[in-house]
Amino acid sequence: MTVASQVKQTLASLKGARGTLNMYSVQTRDDETQSVYTNSLEIADTIINDLEDRLKTLEFEEPQYKGN
Amino acid sequence: MQEPIYVIIRTLALFSIVWLSIRLIGKRNISRVKPFNFMSYIVLAIVATLMSLNLIDLISGFIVLLTWLVLPIALDYLSIKSEAIHQLINGKETVLIKHGKIMEENLIQVRMTGEDLLAELRSKNIFNMTDVEFAVMETNGEINAYLKSDKKPVSAHDLGEKVAPQAEPQTVIMDGNFLNEPLSSLGLNQEWLKVELDKMGVALENVFLAQVDSSGDLFLDLFDDAVEIPQPKVKELLYANLEKIQADLSTFSLQTDDKTAKGMYLRNSQKFENLLDKLRPYLLN
Repeated sequence: MTVASQVKQTLASLKGARGTLNMYSVQTRDDETQSVYTNSLEIADTIINDLEDRLKTLEFEEPQYKGN
Repeated sequence: MQEPIYVIIRTLALFSIVWLSIRLIGKRNISRVKPFNFMSYIVLAIVATLMSLNLIDLISGFIVLLTWLVLPIALDYLSIKSEAIHQLINGKETVLIKHGKIMEENLIQVRMTGEDLLAELRSKNIFNMTDVEFAVMETNGEINAYLKSDKKPVSAHDLGEKVAPQAEPQTVIMDGNFLNEPLSSLGLNQEWLKVELDKMGVALENVFLAQVDSSGDLFLDLFDDAVEIPQPKVKELLYANLEKIQADLSTFSLQTDDKTAKGMYLRNSQKFENLLDKLRPYLLN
């Protein structure tokens, strides 16, 4: 497995986890809990962005592995 | 022939009157009732019985009933308004143990022996008298004890643990029927519930009880106990997933040779660790 595909895998599971977190943040009725979830969502978003940027660089550096 | 019918009608009328009076006097469990109110219950019952058996005439009977109905209500009202009257009517609570020492005079005053006190404490699961810091006999005769701080049950606060606030779960299915009111109080509807049941592969008719907790997870009990249903483990799974992502991030930071990428991975992995700490009480409990 190339580095790029490993990063892709992590990115995918992070996106999945973000979805579940989002679901809980919508479902909860408690304000404090909701703020913790929304805060987590923001952090997850920044990390997703960073990983996506990194993935672009990796694919640029190793175009032969693109798509894996 | 007249007489029995007359007795029946009179008894029914009195039954409704006494029932109404007791509702008016107050809503309290009979074992928790104040001694004075207990008296008025008994008087009401006896007078009503005497009246229905025609042992006292109706007019004077009604006067007695009315007096015993109005007086307790009036006194209750006054005792709400004035602390002095409250103490006069209901008496005052008696301190039985103070600073861990039994107050013998007070014990005599409420006519209890040491053995009685110990028995009362045992009924509260306190077997060791020295565990009690403070105990008091309330005006209704109940004894309440406050344990010494090192003998009190440990709370999350004592441990310095943060716990997620949890509202009471709502029962949404009972005996295979939807309960609409609790569902709508959660902001959910029958469609949602149907989808959740389909996800678990369970028919509505097979559900005896279903509860939704404050985070929206559904817990079921089925009529058919042979069927194993998965209890929601979404939060635990989510937490495990997040932990894996965090581990991945730190692995990447170790693997890469690129300086900026290394910094980015390290920073994010640390951010993620803080995030996990914060989410822990909400996802694992």
